[in-house]
Amino acid sequence: MITAFLLRAFDGKALVFMGVLAAFAIAIPAGNLLFPPDHALHVPVYVVSLLGKYMCYALLALSVDLVWGYCGILSLGHGAFFALGGYAMGMYLMRQIGTRGVYGNPDLPDFMVFLNWKELPWYWTGFDVFPFAALMVLVVPGLLAFVFGWFAFRSRVTGVYLSIITQAMTYALLLAFFRNDMGFGGNNGLTDFKDILGYSVQADGTRAALFFASVAAVAIGFVIARAVTRSKLGKVLIAVRDAESRTRFLGYRVEHYKLFVWVLSAMMAGVAGALYVPQVGIINPGEFAPANSIELVIWVAVGGRGTLVGAVLGAVLVNFAKTWFTGVFPEFWLFALGGLFVAVTLFLPRGIVGMIGQHWSALRQRRVSARAEAGSDEDPREGEIANAMNHQAAE
Amino acid sequence: MLEQASNSVLYLDGVSVSFDGFKALNSLSLVLKPGEMRAIIGPNGAGKTTMMDVITGKTRPDEGEIYFDGAVDLTRLDEADIAELGIGRKFQKPTVFESQTVLDNLELALKTPRGPFATLFHRSSAQERARIDTLLEQIRLTGRRDELAANLSHGQKQWLEIGMLLAQDPKLMLVDEPAAGMTDAETAETATMLKEINKTRSVVVVEHDMTFVRDLGVKVTVLHEGSVLAEGALDHVSADPRVVEVYLGR
Amino acid sequence: MLQIRSFVFALLIAVSALAGLSAPVLAQNQSDLRSLINELAKGRYDDTERQIEAIAATGEEAAVPALQALGSNDLMARKSDGAVFIVKKKSGGYQLIDPLTGDVAGEAGRRDMERIKINNRLRRAIQSALGELTLMSKNPDRRRQAAEQVFKARDTEAIETIDAALDAETDPGIATLLREARAAAVLNSDASEADKIAAVGVIKARGDQEARAILAATADSSANSGQTALHDAATRAQSHVEQILAAWNAAQNVWYGLSLGSVLLLAAIGLAITFGVMGVINMAHGEMVMIGAYTTFMVQEVIRNSAPWLFDASLAIALPLAFLIAGAVGVALERFVIRFLYGRPLETLLATWGISLILQQAVRTIFGANNREVGTPSWMSGLTEVGGLTITYNRLAIIIFSLVVFGVLITVLKSTRFGLYTRAVTQNRRMASSMGIRTPWVDAMTFGLGSGIAGIAGVALSQIDNVSPNLGQSYIIDSFMVVVFGGVGNLWGTLVGAMTLGVVNKFLEPYAGAVLAKILLLVFIILFIQKRPRGLFALKGRAVEA
Repeated sequence: MITAFLLRAFDGKALVFMGVLAAFAIAIPAGNLLFPPDHALHVPVYVVSLLGKYMCYALLALSVDLVWGYCGILSLGHGAFFALGGYAMGMYLMRQIGTRGVYGNPDLPDFMVFLNWKELPWYWTGFDVFPFAALMVLVVPGLLAFVFGWFAFRSRVTGVYLSIITQAMTYALLLAFFRNDMGFGGNNGLTDFKDILGYSVQADGTRAALFFASVAAVAIGFVIARAVTRSKLGKVLIAVRDAESRTRFLGYRVEHYKLFVWVLSAMMAGVAGALYVPQVGIINPGEFAPANSIELVIWVAVGGRGTLVGAVLGAVLVNFAKTWFTGVFPEFWLFALGGLFVAVTLFLPRGIVGMIGQHWSALRQRRVSARAEAGSDEDPREGEIANAMNHQAAE
Repeated sequence: MLEQASNSVLYLDGVSVSFDGFKALNSLSLVLKPGEMRAIIGPNGAGKTTMMDVITGKTRPDEGEIYFDGAVDLTRLDEADIAELGIGRKFQKPTVFESQTVLDNLELALKTPRGPFATLFHRSSAQERARIDTLLEQIRLTGRRDELAANLSHGQKQWLEIGMLLAQDPKLMLVDEPAAGMTDAETAETATMLKEINKTRSVVVVEHDMTFVRDLGVKVTVLHEGSVLAEGALDHVSADPRVVEVYLGR
Repeated sequence: MLQIRSFVFALLIAVSALAGLSAPVLAQNQSDLRSLINELAKGRYDDTERQIEAIAATGEEAAVPALQALGSNDLMARKSDGAVFIVKKKSGGYQLIDPLTGDVAGEAGRRDMERIKINNRLRRAIQSALGELTLMSKNPDRRRQAAEQVFKARDTEAIETIDAALDAETDPGIATLLREARAAAVLNSDASEADKIAAVGVIKARGDQEARAILAATADSSANSGQTALHDAATRAQSHVEQILAAWNAAQNVWYGLSLGSVLLLAAIGLAITFGVMGVINMAHGEMVMIGAYTTFMVQEVIRNSAPWLFDASLAIALPLAFLIAGAVGVALERFVIRFLYGRPLETLLATWGISLILQQAVRTIFGANNREVGTPSWMSGLTEVGGLTITYNRLAIIIFSLVVFGVLITVLKSTRFGLYTRAVTQNRRMASSMGIRTPWVDAMTFGLGSGIAGIAGVALSQIDNVSPNLGQSYIIDSFMVVVFGGVGNLWGTLVGAMTLGVVNKFLEPYAGAVLAKILLLVFIILFIQKRPRGLFALKGRAVEA
């Protein structure tokens, strides 16, 4: 059943995308590991990490697209799930430091020694074991999403109200994680990682492997998201997005559907965070900042919401622009980002991929109606009208 | 009273709803026998749509009883429960899923398990496809099955919505102004369609169009200010001076 | 032991006397007083006593330090000329301090100075002289201060002096203070149990933190000495006082809460209007507040450089300017961005977020990323105490200001044509439009009004918060919470919401700490919205569904 379900994800377009990802996943690490530093094809290790970071963002964008693009839930708090996944991984990495910390305490991370704590808080138990930590990467964001979504969707909180309370959620977590007595390193967060699964996080090989894992995660996330959106459940989600109360009158429990996709999305965001942390080497409460969560919505909007490839593309493009701007004109980045928000919502509501898709289908429609004109007496302009209406409907 | 309820498909007794002091329904009582088709008429603000809302669980009544099929208390259930019980509703404004195809719209409405996991792993069977083909035939949309619902004409959207209702296979259908915005030919066709449907299930039709109601030729209930003003054959109620006053007076 | 205590008493009186020396002592009096003080060193004890009485008779507070020094054996005469000084021990001699002015008047060797000797009788004379100079001063403020000091000292020796002062006292307020001071001293003495119980009654009536401390001490000591009646009375009085204190504490929290609430109200009210009327969330609302604050800064800069005498009016000048500037930005925002996104609230949210980033960065580029100093006009600084409440004028001003803004807004919406249009559009946009109301115009004006109010909120907030490019960001989430909690489309809801959240926050803070209080509040609102998705005062009925 599962295989059949997942196989649904694959068609021509999906295979092309997967091919591109695979080439990327192999070429970048190979460029780093196989060619010597002075070779023209050498990929420096910072580029590997940077691209790995983009891949984490791409997965995060996929998760947002799943709820926003397909189910109409605009989350302004997905950064929280990302950060929780990151913290779960960070806790594992902290435990791997062992006695190599400044204070050399075998059990307690440095910040706890500094706070004069005598023993590990109960919620840190088990995080020294990778499988447990990996499970928590899914469970913690998933659980938060479940509890939050259970209440919110059951009470039919929708639209901007929902957006605002997701923002309040991440804001509350931001404040909470800033507190030292939460036991997550307060302001400074978790950092100074040494090993992951016994390999140094600094080593080129580890970085390449993490990059590979990130691309693989994007691929898996893409397949799952595509399988979900192409299933009948996906059709229900779109129905909810377009006419929620109608869907309810058809007998669908809208809150269950929202909850399902919300939790799935939160788990994907958690994985993205978990892969992000070892590559950037730190996780701190700043990741919970509401501004971060809003920023990632624009990645999806730029690429095209409701299209999975668009989400990935948007995340990579916007973050590439960010890297470039902050390097060359740091003071202009916020102008550019702000302008992007305005421009995309005003002029490119369906995003890059959505726009291309629209032109392409318009072209095809014209060809179809041209053929229809030859064969029957149908109105040749109907294709265009249909397309225009289609556009309106999607809005 | 209970006996009356148990012999009915829909039973409303003393149902009242108010919004900020405005009584939308005022002690409304109505009994629908199994297999019956009933037309509800009444001027604007008479409470027709609110009545639909309380039956389908969108609005909770402040007081009163609503029973479906003689035994099920609808006031305790929500929209999804009520829809699953077998009450289908067509809205005043046609609401179909515009960004999905006619086929998808019908497939979504088809009577299959409604849980998220059931739909996640759902694969459409030959039986389902056959059922959809029949429905397409019935609502005269066979030729447009792969068209986006947004591209249908207004009348076709109304039909698609009726088709979706049929796909749900409900025992009771609530139809709100099915003929609104239709051409005369479409109106007549719709009346035929509803009579056809009434052969297998109970139907409540809310309508303004008197010709259409006459075409249906069923018992008529006149609502006014949230309660029943008159009930009976169309000729009978239209002779009632109170009904005449409500429609023409003032 | 007793001596040390009376020394402390004298010292306290002296300190308070020094504090009261604001008025310049007349030169004439000074020279008279100086000669009287110099006389202290002459003759025998009897002569000194007469001199002390003579000094007391002058009623000059300037003599207090000298008398106090005399009481603590720190008053000495210079052998060479007989001049009297207050001395401080130094290695190898003394530092000389002028007894009247308190200035350092040079140094002297140990042999050059002679101590003015005193005995117990003189000590009493000094006490009563000090009492007369302070507790019986002609200046009522002076007497009040002295009485407060005596109360704190709880010196049994002072009872006589207090009694004398009480006889002479005409001001009922000061008399009460003196009675309290006496009672405090009695409780410290070995007076009879009945006297002490009476004293407990007096202290209980005072009902503040100090009273609580005295009563607690009395309850303890009486338990040790087995005076059960006194113990009971003190314990009962103590719990009574504690109740009073708890009530004042609660009142203070309410005050802080209202103060926070008024800030939230100012920040949220503009948002409530735009959200209510247009159903759009303006994420750049906080930046309108910021623009208002920077307008205040600019106005003050101009005033500082060209018309410093106008400084106290700077806020009054900034208010209309901030309203106009922020309002203009708001109208521009509506005309150039938001109106194209009508009916797409989620996209509006994103676009306005983009605007907010641009505005923030623009301000950062122009004014720099650091906090800007905005001054407080003199009439807004300072504080007053009402019973157990401390009220700062700037907070008081903001509370009043926010209520005035609220009142004006309610009036505008209730009784102007524009308000009528706005309400019509809020309730049913399509109907309003078909009745000939130009809804786009109403939208633009509403947006301008909401933004303008955010601007004047910025003027107020510049008085209590840092003026930095991030100013708006710190209020935006709180403002949303207020609007969402209060219910959309109802300004009274916003008022109640803001005040409730403010007060609840301040009540949680002592138990949970500021950060946790905020988290709890956010969680509470998140849960509340699930229970009542449309807020406290929601519009009901079919209009909502449309």
